[in-house]
Amino acid sequence: MRLEANNLTKAYHTQEVVNIEKVTFGSAGLEGLIGPNGAGKSTLMGLLTRRITPSSGTMKLHIEDKTHPLNPFHSHQVARIGLIKTNQRIQGFDSLTIRDSLRLAATPARAEGFKSLFSGQRDSEEVEEKVARLVEAFPFADRNGYAMSGGEKKLLDILRCLIAEPKLLLMDEPTAGLPEDITRSVMDMVREKVQAGAMRVVVVEHDLPLIWEYCEYVHFLSEGSILFEGAPEEVKANRVVAEKYMGV
Amino acid sequence: MDYLIFSVSLMLVYIGLAQLLHIQFGLAGIPNFGVVGFWGIGLYGTGVLYVKAGVPLLPAMAMASLLATALAYVLARLVLQRNGQAILAATLAFATIVSTLVVSEKDLTGGVQGLGTIRFPFSDLEQRNLIFMIMLLIVVCALIWISAKLRDSRLGRQLVAIRDNEELAASLGKNTAATKRWVFAITCGLMGLLGGMSAPLHQFLVPYQLSPSLTFAVWIALVLGGKGHNLGAIVGVFVTFGLFDILIETYAPVPAEQAILLPNFKLFCYGVLLVMIIMFRPLGILGVDKPKVRSSTTTPPRELSNASVEKG
Repeated sequence: MRLEANNLTKAYHTQEVVNIEKVTFGSAGLEGLIGPNGAGKSTLMGLLTRRITPSSGTMKLHIEDKTHPLNPFHSHQVARIGLIKTNQRIQGFDSLTIRDSLRLAATPARAEGFKSLFSGQRDSEEVEEKVARLVEAFPFADRNGYAMSGGEKKLLDILRCLIAEPKLLLMDEPTAGLPEDITRSVMDMVREKVQAGAMRVVVVEHDLPLIWEYCEYVHFLSEGSILFEGAPEEVKANRVVAEKYMGV
Repeated sequence: MDYLIFSVSLMLVYIGLAQLLHIQFGLAGIPNFGVVGFWGIGLYGTGVLYVKAGVPLLPAMAMASLLATALAYVLARLVLQRNGQAILAATLAFATIVSTLVVSEKDLTGGVQGLGTIRFPFSDLEQRNLIFMIMLLIVVCALIWISAKLRDSRLGRQLVAIRDNEELAASLGKNTAATKRWVFAITCGLMGLLGGMSAPLHQFLVPYQLSPSLTFAVWIALVLGGKGHNLGAIVGVFVTFGLFDILIETYAPVPAEQAILLPNFKLFCYGVLLVMIIMFRPLGILGVDKPKVRSSTTTPPRELSNASVEKG
């Protein structure tokens, strides 16, 4: 599992937001991506999942023996090969209940064709079980209803991505809008899955204690470029990171 | 009696169109303002094939519906990934192009002089108009049944997700563009089928029948009845077309000198109804219905009992 970007740039008009010579994600189990506001973290995530079209550069995803060039892909194709991103901005499907939203994410696209009109049961036992397990694990106010608060929507967004069983999960500020204890149980669940070898994860965060606690490897992005990479201890001790980010 | 059968048949066509619009707009969120264009392709396609090329009626209808499907697919490729206003304008323009072509291509369509005569199938039977009404009824019931199936299916759930947040649906691996394209093309093709079935009802086709008022009538009916409800189309067409065009125009004892005002009065009532619905019941008379799915209620208890057994 390796997500690789080479000479990746993104410019809006003349303003260059991302300019990365080379970066590789997914070598360690849980990686962090940190950097000051406006460093280009979210843009980089958008580029990697092909929501945003790069100005130049190439992106490749290596899974097992296969190499998928990401540049020609649409965003749904990226998701289908196993690269999924949670969203920083709170959003969701307003007309779907919590369970339906999860069922949707757990259902593979090939099961959603015109033939599905005539199948007697909408969701397989397997899907229902996965959904029930996730819904029971978190304190939603109304488990059979809709996600009401911003926190529930944010949590549901992350759970939707988890239930889709990605090979590489990108998490864009998972703590923003979530209560501390929920964040912990989400991150514990994520770490469990990573340790079981089910997936690898890249977390974009401003909450540095969380990064130091969970991540094995950290990338530091500033002004659109990767300025430093290394184990949490090395990043903490690095002068550039301290100057540009931690305001020392 | 014949007039009643004609009116009810016409009402069935309206219900069918509103039902298809419910799928396009109510479920998938595609604002199709070119309903009359796709219906018109079916109407005139059937007419031209039947009158000019001598194709039997039913194959002519089928061919015209396929043509409507193909054109809808091409239009979908061009505009469906743009925003709502662009789709609205493009479909409206499409319908205008269709009606303009019908006027200008005189050799094929007869232009403003009209095209006819298109006879009912089983034309030697006396009850042919009744038989045809029953055929229409079957088609419309099938449409309602299929859209109920769609609402309860995985595909329907995907359509709702696309309507709510297309980018998010795509990021979960749903090929939103292709799904929308095919649903749009097929439902437009079925609008074409209803157009083809309208040809023998009208018998004589004139370009006036392709005016946008059909599109607006269908939209008003759907919005009144409930765009997100599977039966909204029926209720909407009953309270508009059924109430005014059939009940009042045909049966109300209106003196002859006032009768000429009726169409204007009808439009006035539509307007008032629409404003009231939008103010007090924005989701329409019936509101929104939820998928009726069996599976969800059975699993959680089993899940819990399993867990307790394992622990014990």
